[in-house]
Amino acid sequence: MDENLKIVGKRVIRSDSYAKVTGGALYTADLKLPGMLYAKVLRSPYPHAKILNIDVSKALKVPGVKAAISGFDAYGVKWGVFRYTQDHAMLPTDKVRYIGEDVAAVAAVDEESAIEALSLIKVEYEPLEAVFDPVEAMKDTAPQIHEQYKNNINIHIHIEVGDVDKAMAKAYIVREDTFKAKGEAYAMMEPYAVVASYANGYLDLWMPNAGPHVRAKALSNLLKLPLNRVRVRHINSGGAFGGRSEVAPGDLVASLLSIKSGRPVKLVLTREENAMCSRQVHDIIATVKTGMKKDGTIVAKEYKTIYDGGAYSSTGPIATSIPYYVYEECYRLPNVRYDGYRVFTNKGIRGMYGCHGRAFLAGNEAQMDLMAKELGLDPVEVRLKNGLTAGELTATKSKIISCGLKDTIIQAAEKSDFKKKWKKHTRNKGIGMGCVAIMCGFPMGFRSGSSCYVKINDDGQVTLITGMVDNGQGNESLAVQVASEVLGIPMDDINLVNADTEVTNLDPGSYSQAAAYVGANAVKAACEDARKKIIAIASKKLGVPEEEIDLKDRVAYSVKTPDKRMPISWITREAFFKGEPIVGTGSFFPDIDLEREWVSKPEGQMAGTYSFGTSVAEIEIDEETGKIKVPKFIAAHDCGRPINPMAVEGQMEGSVGQAGIATIFEGNMWYKGFLLNPDLLEYKVPLACDMPDIETIIVSSNDPKGPFGAKEGGLTIRMNAYSAIACAFTNATGMLFEELPLTPDNVLKLLEKNKGGKR
Amino acid sequence: MKTIKVMLNVNNEKVTLQVKPYETLLETLRERLSLTGAKESCSLGSCGACTVLVNGTPMRSCLILTPEVEGASITTIEGLKNGEKLHPLQQAFMEKGAVQCGFCTSGMILTAKALLDRNKKPEKRDIVKTMSSNICRCTGYKKIIEAVEETSKK
Repeated sequence: MDENLKIVGKRVIRSDSYAKVTGGALYTADLKLPGMLYAKVLRSPYPHAKILNIDVSKALKVPGVKAAISGFDAYGVKWGVFRYTQDHAMLPTDKVRYIGEDVAAVAAVDEESAIEALSLIKVEYEPLEAVFDPVEAMKDTAPQIHEQYKNNINIHIHIEVGDVDKAMAKAYIVREDTFKAKGEAYAMMEPYAVVASYANGYLDLWMPNAGPHVRAKALSNLLKLPLNRVRVRHINSGGAFGGRSEVAPGDLVASLLSIKSGRPVKLVLTREENAMCSRQVHDIIATVKTGMKKDGTIVAKEYKTIYDGGAYSSTGPIATSIPYYVYEECYRLPNVRYDGYRVFTNKGIRGMYGCHGRAFLAGNEAQMDLMAKELGLDPVEVRLKNGLTAGELTATKSKIISCGLKDTIIQAAEKSDFKKKWKKHTRNKGIGMGCVAIMCGFPMGFRSGSSCYVKINDDGQVTLITGMVDNGQGNESLAVQVASEVLGIPMDDINLVNADTEVTNLDPGSYSQAAAYVGANAVKAACEDARKKIIAIASKKLGVPEEEIDLKDRVAYSVKTPDKRMPISWITREAFFKGEPIVGTGSFFPDIDLEREWVSKPEGQMAGTYSFGTSVAEIEIDEETGKIKVPKFIAAHDCGRPINPMAVEGQMEGSVGQAGIATIFEGNMWYKGFLLNPDLLEYKVPLACDMPDIETIIVSSNDPKGPFGAKEGGLTIRMNAYSAIACAFTNATGMLFEELPLTPDNVLKLLEKNKGGKR
Repeated sequence: MKTIKVMLNVNNEKVTLQVKPYETLLETLRERLSLTGAKESCSLGSCGACTVLVNGTPMRSCLILTPEVEGASITTIEGLKNGEKLHPLQQAFMEKGAVQCGFCTSGMILTAKALLDRNKKPEKRDIVKTMSSNICRCTGYKKIIEAVEETSKK
């Protein structure tokens, strides 16, 4: 079947795009329910302070106000992804730990009354000493942000493979450098919003989210409600990029207000609140020590990486691990020691990011180029020499299933004339290459798998029911396209019901690159189940063996004698007559080591498969102003088989902006716990005029277990585009970056240091 | 509260409204007229997600007070279709894959429409310059520029 694909692999119009170009697509802030109230949140003005008292009684007296709450109205449950990270009450009652933390909230008939009521809530604080720098926070003298975490160390990941010290001692060259990067803003176009509606003991919720099932579970814990009374419903999402993966304080706030008032409640954050009080990206300090043989073979790596974790645990262990893993999934590391520390500071809550770990990854790649140069080697050859291939194990014993890394490197290098340009660089023009691998799904226990149901209706049209969620990347269309292929029914005939926790079964969500590999595989399995039933009936009716029948254009027909055919709608009715309507179910669970644990056992199969990618950037540096321009960018990505190449290209191109151009633009700026650039004027997001000429190359490796050979599409570029820019800077200047972003002031500082030095 | 009477022509339909003195055009469109295709994203005019056409000119509806545009003709994304037929830009955005999360899409399409209305055959650099008034966080802009280019060639 795979070789005669009808629609998979075609550049199809995404099923969600009509609603989006006509303005009909609804997002959370667009919702209006009968009797709906508007919520506002009172936030902490202190980075660190004891809460002595919260009094909301005066707020309740404002006309139009229907509810006012604080953490004292919650159920005393703290959220954490892992049992050992449950430290986030969402509405604190003991102390506040960052500026902007949710402290109390009101719901009123209009926004004006809610704002007035906020000003009447009385909170008594006792300010405490705060700490904003993770290195300072680790010192014995630093204020403790949480009692249970000594020296503010939230998570320590220690990975030890082989004999690092021995290998370093024997290496031909060894280099150690430290790289920093500011956390970026997710800056998703849709500011966080939530609508909560509690009635008759059941809570319905709409919010942009990257995993409805994990969201519902978290809220069921926080609200002490059974899971089937917390229904996270489908709604369009205006971008996530990792920032909508976890339960948000606003989810709890809106839910409590709705429970108290008995009316639906809508909370919409401002752009500034979205930046300060929803999730933020980790700032990182990465020390990278590498031992290399004379021929460029990496013999040892030693890492110390510090993650500024903000005030609470969030996805702590995962965030502390991922930059390392995507690197070991790409390159052969025979001896490695990784120490990752996630450290609490009095800053906003952090989460995973599609571009997470740029200091670590760009640092590794740029340092490798400098070592290659010292050895008289070409960076392309060094990458090919150290790159993993299918069948090999990563350092922590995870098998590479399918691997197009080599092809991405070679094709990106050829297309960019890399080798020649790298040698012929000038001091203000350079070219650089970055590689990475991405796991298609994180290990998440029993939530690692996905299930799907499909029913064929009496007119032959299809209803597809899956927990898969779309944050804009095209997962909904992906599911419909896969179903269309298997069932021989046009995409237009398929109604997708998804991301609704009461209707759909478990799905890992879209934040661990699991949608294409895991979710779509479940869709495929469910549709194959239904297909079998359709074919069984067609076989009897047409008098031809089952294996001779194919489905195409709403018709079941004999491949040998195509005039033997009947519409699928007739077959469906036949099934209803028999009292056996055609319903398919299917699920997919990736082959992963469930014993694996991020902290206690960082070893074993991490994911069902890995995708690979290579980015190449050309840059020009203006030595007068320090401004970097990126005229050309080439991105090559092994996504197994692209289900919709146009959608995969879109992910790659978006990644060039969000990870690549961000390398010269983006970073959150802080002053004592105040975020200085929370809006879109002060925080510069790349515009059309900032974008390079982009060429995308899709490399097919045809994964043996991926749906039609597919793996995740696009994230490798999101995690190596910054490396390409950093390496191009090293190529031009002969220097490593010290801190990202490479804004003009940073660049001028580096160039100044380099004056008189060799280039 | 004192309200102000405002007459507007929205998507070829005359409406008379009583609005708050400080009410933005974005709020009027979204809250009073249920035209939610214009989005609120940055609320200070930097992103363009709230762009609508005011007498044919693309404007940030989050920065305009409704009483300021008394008597104006407003076009929102909901008014772009001709009956069931999509505007060529809407069609091109779909076909070129220029839509991802969709939150910037209505502002992008209306900005492009105003460009093509005043310059039928823009150079690529004109398109890039014009479309640089709006932020998209998903696409890297390539397919958006291609969609506008494609439409201008038709």
